[in-house]
Amino acid sequence: MQQGGGSGTEVTWEDQQNINRFGRLNNRFHELEEEIKIAKETNENLEDASNELILTDDDVMKFQIGEVFVHMPNEEVESRIEQMKEVTSKNLGKLEEEKDSVLAEMAELKKILYGKFKDSINLEED
Amino acid sequence: MASSSTSAVSERRGIPAAAFVEDVQTYLTQSGLDVNSSLAFLQERLQQYKLVEMKLLAQQRDLQAKIPDIEKCLDIVATLQAKKGTGEALIADFEVSEGIYSRARIEDTDSVCLWLGANVMLEYSCDEATNLLQKNLENAKASLEVLVDDLHFLRDQVTVTQVTIARVYNWDVHQRRSKQAAAAAAKDS
Repeated sequence: MQQGGGSGTEVTWEDQQNINRFGRLNNRFHELEEEIKIAKETNENLEDASNELILTDDDVMKFQIGEVFVHMPNEEVESRIEQMKEVTSKNLGKLEEEKDSVLAEMAELKKILYGKFKDSINLEED
Repeated sequence: MASSSTSAVSERRGIPAAAFVEDVQTYLTQSGLDVNSSLAFLQERLQQYKLVEMKLLAQQRDLQAKIPDIEKCLDIVATLQAKKGTGEALIADFEVSEGIYSRARIEDTDSVCLWLGANVMLEYSCDEATNLLQKNLENAKASLEVLVDDLHFLRDQVTVTQVTIARVYNWDVHQRRSKQAAAAAAKDS
């Protein structure tokens, strides 16, 4: 976000606040990408687990809760996995939604800041 | 949300706010610094902010790891409680040493022992344990929230300082150019 060149455009407090906001959003955007990646992985793992569960011949599974593997009937494991899947999917949806709104606001701020500072400001990633 | 930042507060939890510079010329005259020393001062500030940022990020990582740990604890206590009164024992494989597992039967149990730290372990009823863990979880979440706000504040200060550095620098370049132009004009005439 360094400014180059020697243009004489004055930076007002309002501009500074817009730049701050943009910085925050950009940061959040990167956090969200990371969180979304993790949520997707978790979802896939749960999906794999429930597929394996269908294929198995055993009636009792070992399911990790806390630090130990609890022996648990298949149906119970299945319902637990379903529940976990639901939680992560919901979470994933929320994260995606937030990412969209962050991106929208960033685009809005870009319009304002580029509009004022032209090429004296760079808001793109390196 | 944008209004929750700098000019109103002068510091947050020991982090000094970066003052916004309205006009570079006035800023330099008022602070009595020349361009180079003011840039050096701002760079130093930036380094200090970065240091604090690293400290806060480490704290954030700790808390982010702590929260799922507590959730796991709550999960197992809930599992034990659910088994209670069913007449069935909870059978679990547990690690006795790295990579070595043994099998345990946990019969109807009303209590669990919580490691409180400082070499102290205390027996709690399941309800009490759940309450305590729940409270710990809430505390951890609340601290995380405060920490995230601190980080936001800090990043705003970093941005303000970076922008100020760029502006002081640009102002200097501009100044030199107009001086050069003036000198060239004087020569020509």
